[in-house]
Amino acid sequence: MTATLNPTDRFTALFEREKSRLPGAGIAWLAQARAEALAAFEAQGLPHTRFEGWRHTPARVLTETDFVPAERPAARGGHAGKILCPVTFHRVLVYNGRVQPNGEGSVYGEIPKGVQVSSLADALRDAPEALKAALTRGFSTDGMPFAALASALFCDGIVVRVARHVRLDKPLNVLYVSDDSASGRPQMTHLRALVLLEDGASAEIVTESVGGGRAPFWMNILTQIELGEGASLKHYRLQRENASGVQTAGTFVEVGRAARYESHAFNFGGALARHDLRVRLAGEGAECALNGLALVRGEEIVDHHTAVEHAAAGGTTRELYKAVLDERGRFVFDGLVDVRPGAQQTDASVYNKNLLLSEDADVHTNPEFKILADDVSCKHGGAIGQLSAESMFYLRSRGIGESEARRMLVYAFGSEMIERVGLEPLKEALTAALHARMPEAAEEAAR
Amino acid sequence: MLKITDLHAKIGDKVILKGLSLHVKPGEIHAIMGPNGSGKSTLSYVLAGRDGYEVTSGSALYQGQDLLTMAPEVRAREGVFLAFQYPVEIPGVSNKYFLKAAYNALRKHRGEPEMDAGVFLKFIKEKAKLVEMDPAFLNRSVNEGFSGGEKKRNEILQMAVLEPKLALLDETDSGLDIDALKIVAGGINKLRDPKRSVVLVTHYQRLLDYIVPDFVHVLSGGRIVKSGGKDLALQLEKEGYGWIEAEKAAA
Repeated sequence: MTATLNPTDRFTALFEREKSRLPGAGIAWLAQARAEALAAFEAQGLPHTRFEGWRHTPARVLTETDFVPAERPAARGGHAGKILCPVTFHRVLVYNGRVQPNGEGSVYGEIPKGVQVSSLADALRDAPEALKAALTRGFSTDGMPFAALASALFCDGIVVRVARHVRLDKPLNVLYVSDDSASGRPQMTHLRALVLLEDGASAEIVTESVGGGRAPFWMNILTQIELGEGASLKHYRLQRENASGVQTAGTFVEVGRAARYESHAFNFGGALARHDLRVRLAGEGAECALNGLALVRGEEIVDHHTAVEHAAAGGTTRELYKAVLDERGRFVFDGLVDVRPGAQQTDASVYNKNLLLSEDADVHTNPEFKILADDVSCKHGGAIGQLSAESMFYLRSRGIGESEARRMLVYAFGSEMIERVGLEPLKEALTAALHARMPEAAEEAAR
Repeated sequence: MLKITDLHAKIGDKVILKGLSLHVKPGEIHAIMGPNGSGKSTLSYVLAGRDGYEVTSGSALYQGQDLLTMAPEVRAREGVFLAFQYPVEIPGVSNKYFLKAAYNALRKHRGEPEMDAGVFLKFIKEKAKLVEMDPAFLNRSVNEGFSGGEKKRNEILQMAVLEPKLALLDETDSGLDIDALKIVAGGINKLRDPKRSVVLVTHYQRLLDYIVPDFVHVLSGGRIVKSGGKDLALQLEKEGYGWIEAEKAAA
């Protein structure tokens, strides 16, 4: 009978079937939160091209594929050579949506005192009340049906908690690996992550997603970040699914007084990557820096929707997303800064710059401000360009061949975002990854 | 070295070079002077192979080979160098990396192995001294945020690294104050060599106070209308280009 259900109803049926087996199933407040989230998903339904915020982002791969909840992968460990994150970092491995125990792919035994890193499923088993406030916090998932879905269906995820004035000594790598199950069917996993930094705490978190299988794999993750007064989080997100990989990620960030959230999003592959990032600068003097670099080619689609709410005075936003588009790639950028009444001395800039290497690629860019305060400095801009003919000639006139010259210029365009990465070993790995994703196909097309 | 015969070239529908001929032998320095719009920069770009210029007739032989059919990078590897009037800024590409890529492309063309990074660094630091350039500039992005004088010095540094057989210097003196002009001219003079030919394209005579040419040509209306020795440049400085135009009209 499943075949006759519309796609939204399929998820409802799945929820009814699975809810008694999901983590924390016996906890009344969680059951209610999951049910409310499912209702919020049902009210919106799956996105289509007339869906606000999804007009330029075809989601057919999601609505037309019959995904089943991910199972144990048929083979293990095929990802070892693909990981960008250095092994010297703390690591939590999430394999097909299940957090692997410490010592079994995960290595976080030496976490300092005052820092908690655990699987969300384990935390719900061991001390659910400590998570109640975060997991029942109300926030609007309007325009983010998949965030609502993750909130309803999550099967695991991670919890990171850093106590007052404690600094996480080394970066924490949260590594998401997906691979085919024995059945070889398209799989999905719904995850939820909580990152809670108390006053004055600081951490660096590198999430990296890597796809290994042949069948489509959809990872849907809802991340909730709360930064106390003066806290600081550097959040690196390396999205590197394979050609059949799909990722939908919703991230909510609450930034306290004089706290700072820094995000670096790198998209290096995948059929569809949709990121919704909503930041609320809640306390006076809160800051966020949102950086992004997407290398899009083939038929890939990368979509970043960011919204920063300046809810208090003296907040700062620095936002720059760049994309390099090749072949038939598509990039969508929507960057809203919403300055609320009373958020005086807001200082915000939102820029999106795109480099088109192919006539068939396309970009939709929409940096935007809503300003309800009068003493603010706000700048925004969107640019779409091609490789400069002048620069190409300059390089060639020095003996540098055409394809090498193109590579140098594309690299130069993207490297600005890598330069902003504070972690030296990660910077090196990203540089290598950028070189490896250079546009050979574009060179062919240019001839 | 370079033999240009009856060259005609246009951009779009606009004919700019109308029968230009020039013969440059090894070791010679030729100055090409002329009023604005006479075709000086077009000549440089056509010889370096910039897109957008169409050669409609005539020829340019470089070491006996047809220069005009070569790709710009091949011309460079064969020893043709154009110092740009307006050097291009390339954010994100370090000067050092750029020079290394250019130098190794040249070595590869000659069938030589790439130069080791450490050896190359010493090599370019030596070269930077020729134009009195602070080595810090080697780590900066190509020309980005450089002053006019720094950009021109960077052009001469590239020339020093690539050691061309034929250097075309397009308005290298433009926008330079006298101190910068002396440094740039000094750099060029240090690169003078009996096997290296130089074509200086310039509007003003003052560069020729520092780099003394063997021949001076006046380019006007897309052709060379008068040739002479270095005294011709002095006469042009004193009397302007008007008398040549008049002479041409009378002829």
